Amino acid sequence: MFSLLQIAVRNVLRNKRRTFITLAALLIGVTVMVSIRGTLNGLQRSLLQNVVKGQTGALQVHRAGFLKNVLSSPLSLDMPQDAAFEAKLLGVKHVTAVAPRILFAGMVNVADQTIFLGVQAVDPLREFKVVPLRESTLEDKSQFASGKVADAMVVTDQLEKALRGANVPKDAPAAILAPDKDGALSGENVTLTGIMKLNMPGEKKVGMVRLDVAQKLLKMEGRATEYILAVDDIDNIEQVAADLRLALGKDYEVSTWEDVAAFVKQAMARQSFILSLVAAVFLILMLLGVANTMLMSVLDRTREIGTMMAVGVRRSKILGLFLMEAATIGALGGIIGGAMGTAIVLVLHARGISVTFPGSNVPFTIQPFVTPGYLLAVVSIAGFGALLFAVYPAWRASRLRPVEALAGG
Amino acid sequence: MFRSLLLTLATALLVPATAFADPTAEELLKKYDAVMGPVNFLASIEMTAHRDDGTTRTYKMSVLKKGDDKFRATFAEPAAVRGQEMLRQGDNLWVYMPNLKRAVRLANRDSFQGGDFNNADVLRVNYQADYTAKLVPDAGRADAWELELHAKTKDAAYDMIKLWMRKADSQPIKGEYYTASGKMLRMADFTDFKAYNGLTRPGKISMKNMLATQRYSTMSWDAMDTNVNPPTGKFVLDDLGK
Repeated sequence: MFSLLQIAVRNVLRNKRRTFITLAALLIGVTVMVSIRGTLNGLQRSLLQNVVKGQTGALQVHRAGFLKNVLSSPLSLDMPQDAAFEAKLLGVKHVTAVAPRILFAGMVNVADQTIFLGVQAVDPLREFKVVPLRESTLEDKSQFASGKVADAMVVTDQLEKALRGANVPKDAPAAILAPDKDGALSGENVTLTGIMKLNMPGEKKVGMVRLDVAQKLLKMEGRATEYILAVDDIDNIEQVAADLRLALGKDYEVSTWEDVAAFVKQAMARQSFILSLVAAVFLILMLLGVANTMLMSVLDRTREIGTMMAVGVRRSKILGLFLMEAATIGALGGIIGGAMGTAIVLVLHARGISVTFPGSNVPFTIQPFVTPGYLLAVVSIAGFGALLFAVYPAWRASRLRPVEALAGG
Repeated sequence: MFRSLLLTLATALLVPATAFADPTAEELLKKYDAVMGPVNFLASIEMTAHRDDGTTRTYKMSVLKKGDDKFRATFAEPAAVRGQEMLRQGDNLWVYMPNLKRAVRLANRDSFQGGDFNNADVLRVNYQADYTAKLVPDAGRADAWELELHAKTKDAAYDMIKLWMRKADSQPIKGEYYTASGKMLRMADFTDFKAYNGLTRPGKISMKNMLATQRYSTMSWDAMDTNVNPPTGKFVLDDLGK
């Protein structure tokens, strides 16, 4: 068995050109597969981070029925915003921080312009503990996030441009208007402290205002419509969600980021599916290359096979030899390709790829990475695939008749 | 003598003939404006909004109108909106917020105090100016004319309205309000016809929200005086809050 392997390796090394071509096909295939997967891994991790640490938090708590009606941002489905309720949330294992929000539809006015927008009311000091990446979407970090401006509000630059049309003095007062929780029109003065960038495609007419301003505006002192939660490890969210449901009872609904940002989850599944298709096509193409060279090899080496048979080498050994040669090339290509792919991924990881989503204006950095499991899978698929695709050429070799083979087929 | 007798006879014969002729769409629209938005008036109006969760909220206001396009509404109840005023001047609409001490521009199609009327429903009744109308020939009802109104301007309350007016006295009895794409937003019933200082008109409108079907609002006119002539100075931004 060992001698067979030795002969196989020697045969592989003997015809350098053929080996090189076969290896190249495998190498390129595996390298491309590893680097694409690595980049996609990085993209998906960034997406997840952007959502969890920049928008939704790991988990959200609402009153039951809120998410079903989220488009109308119902204020009647509210909950207490106080120390007792927060203690209940923080009492659940793995929860590290919580922050209250009120989501509502309102209007923002500057001078002669009044524009509809979706508003998130947040407590800046606590909001950015749960979704720290969000702070980087604010152009005016010091003013809104620090909580120094008592009636601070930020809007997207599209809104800001629309509000501050021509001839509007820089210090024109701004106000936010909305129907309060009873439906009566209510208004409060606000200070527009700057621009809020969007880190995901979506509704562009949005803004953030301080929670206490919104509570006064909506006559909802001490109330909130949403709590966002951070956890110590994202892998614990299912456990945390179950514990929260138990602690809060049926009046509340607990959602993970996957429920809230279902589109991200779907996008990620779609990307992975497309990648698998591409990878499968690559794999089959490169393995067909292997099969082709092996078949050529059999035809080339007919005399040699005849000689081996003439000196008493069994047909099964011939079959084994050719399979072994293919496996050797497959393993070599897989391992070297895997190493090259990993090297590329590592370089990209260190350098980072800066990407800006269409419809968003916050660039974020993708750091590609591959898991050992995936590498192992790719290398074994290359090796075993080469073996599988060499079965027919090897079988052809083993079925040759010694006399004809010696005569040169 | 004979000639004048003939003339009288002819006139007498002619009168019933015109009385039975169908009114034109323009005449009906003019009648609508005359009862729903007389040139000048001062009215006390009560609006009750019935919300999805079954709760209601009642607003009391007085509305003053002058000419074709000047309105001013002043809210008295509930406490949350006391002191708020709305002013219309032509195509412009503002709300004065007492706590902000200034007026903020609003859009015509915004909901009026969170109820199921929009701002233009209440503060812009000038269908002749805003819509082109045509009579629907084979209306579904024998007792009423059916009119189809199409907005002339983007500032009109709706893109399309179907309006039913009673044949007996040309009073509006029913309205359906549509988007440009033909989706029905609201439906109104005009009821409680009564005379206000000689002007007979609906005393109550129930407006049903067709998008959130649990919701509806009613608006009733407690009093309406058309013999007023408020000064133009009442309809300027600077006068709000005073």
